[in-house]
Amino acid sequence: MPITKEKDLLATYAENTWCPGCGNFGLLAAVKKVLKEFREKNELHRLVMVSGIGCHAKIVDYVPVNSFYSIHGRVLPVAWGIKLAHPELTVIGHAGDGDAYGEGLAHLIFAAKRNTDLTFIVHNNSVYGLTTGQFTPTSPKGFKGRSTPKGSPETPINPIELLLASGATFVARGYVGKLEHLANLIREAIRHRGFAFIDVLQPCYTFFNTYEFYNQHVKEISPEHDSRDFSAAMELALKWSYSFEAEEIPIGIFYQTEKPVYEDAVIVPEKKVDLGEHFRHYHL
Amino acid sequence: MKPILVKGSEAIALGALAAGCRCYFGYPITPQNEIPELLARELPKRGGVFLQAESELAAANMLLGAASTGVRAMTSSSSPGISLMAEAFSYMAALELPAVVVNVARGGPGLGGIEASQGDYFQATKGAGHGDYHFLVLSPASIQEAYELTARAFDLAEKYRQPVMILTDALLGQMKEPLILRKIKPRKYPKDWALTGAKGRPGRVLRSLFLGPGELRSRNELLQKKYRAMRREVRVESYLLEGAELVVSAFGSLARIVKEAVNLAREKGYPVGFLRPITLFPFPEREFRKLAEAGVRFLVVELNCGQMVEDVRLSICGSTEVRSLPFPPSDLPAPEDIYREIKRCLRSPRR
Repeated sequence: MPITKEKDLLATYAENTWCPGCGNFGLLAAVKKVLKEFREKNELHRLVMVSGIGCHAKIVDYVPVNSFYSIHGRVLPVAWGIKLAHPELTVIGHAGDGDAYGEGLAHLIFAAKRNTDLTFIVHNNSVYGLTTGQFTPTSPKGFKGRSTPKGSPETPINPIELLLASGATFVARGYVGKLEHLANLIREAIRHRGFAFIDVLQPCYTFFNTYEFYNQHVKEISPEHDSRDFSAAMELALKWSYSFEAEEIPIGIFYQTEKPVYEDAVIVPEKKVDLGEHFRHYHL
Repeated sequence: MKPILVKGSEAIALGALAAGCRCYFGYPITPQNEIPELLARELPKRGGVFLQAESELAAANMLLGAASTGVRAMTSSSSPGISLMAEAFSYMAALELPAVVVNVARGGPGLGGIEASQGDYFQATKGAGHGDYHFLVLSPASIQEAYELTARAFDLAEKYRQPVMILTDALLGQMKEPLILRKIKPRKYPKDWALTGAKGRPGRVLRSLFLGPGELRSRNELLQKKYRAMRREVRVESYLLEGAELVVSAFGSLARIVKEAVNLAREKGYPVGFLRPITLFPFPEREFRKLAEAGVRFLVVELNCGQMVEDVRLSICGSTEVRSLPFPPSDLPAPEDIYREIKRCLRSPRR
């Protein structure tokens, strides 16, 4: 890949070890587009990225921002900890589909429930890549992986439907093959005050190559769609259930609304505590 | 019988099949994926169930459920995944459920790495979860032994109504060796405790909550009595103990490198022997004590920062010198590294 001068400014010491053709390159490029804007405003320092375990997690090695390489499934709790300790920081969580929808699913539902102000990007390739090809919560029914020689007997989770039902305030889907569109989603998600969720379709070239299918079926959500309309969002979410038999896979912002943000409710501005007043009853 | 060439992880899966394992629950993690992959292929053919769970928490609790019906069931994982299962392990020990757990250990703490490590010795032998409990822990040193010990684990689990762990590591799990698929005859034990539907008999209850006065104490005393009874299952491999002034001890895959070093030392005329615990819990205390009484000194070699050495020291109660030669995960020692330490030990005056 030719390295432009522009990209060099966001390069790190780390050598990239993703497979050639990995969908993560597209995601990294989209993230870098947004980071470039932070850098130009000299605000890169107020950004923290958290990743989980899986191929996606290496992204924190490839961008020059503060980052935390966390535990499998626990991206959100770590991100909450950072945000609640330092609410002035912009926190972006990255997770894989096994990470977000399997190991850490309970946290995802609570992220929507709490509405902490952070961005959560799921690198969804519908396969466990790092452990070399088992089915994940979003693999299609019948998926033949290394632990499902006769095909997966389970139907996939539809994360868009799930997050809408859980009360998330920003629900979007992107595709690494639509770079500008994806960068824009990330930009909007960061701008959103509250829990912003993006499911990013990101093919695993080695273990589950879905590029051709996505290229044929992915379609940007029409500007006519009212993203404040919950029913319309749900209807759109149900158009594709990760089945790989679809006519059309909508990408874009499904739903966006405003709700009170968790940290506003729990963080009280620091004030001097008069211990004498506090212990008045104990006649110190 | 003609040998086949398989990985250690595959040998473990084959051992489970030979023992009549019917249910497997797990979650992908390196370096043990060959166990679920083989069982995903082979269990359904035998009327069994293979299930890749959404997390290790789910897998361990599914194992708890299957084991409580008296069916032969297992899970496998690697170090960080085993930590996640610890909650269910404590309950399984408390409920006295026969189940088999395999840990193909990797380097820690934290995310560590995926290289071979014996850093989970404490976790395996002292109980990873809460409360006073132990797993019966078996540690193979060869692929043949991995097959046979896994099969044996299912018998021991039922004999003592007790979870059994196979503690191995990335080295044995990932390397290939010839394996003779010796036919295994699973033993039969009464299962008058299993939850199989109460048609025509009173219902059975499995519980670990005891609130009545003294109830929990007698419950714990019963468990401890069982752990003491399990001592008769102690197994060791001893080698060149005759005339040995120094005995080098190691477990699992590392023991093979250690054995090589002992051979090297014996060739040069050094009075060295070798003792390998195969059961890590119960620990072969008596075997170590006997040697200590005969005036033998010990060198304990481990692929961690020194864990089993504590059990050796407890076994001999300070009656002789015990040295530790730890190799924290990352590098595998060469036999020469251990040989050098053997020479140093024998040349140094007794402490």
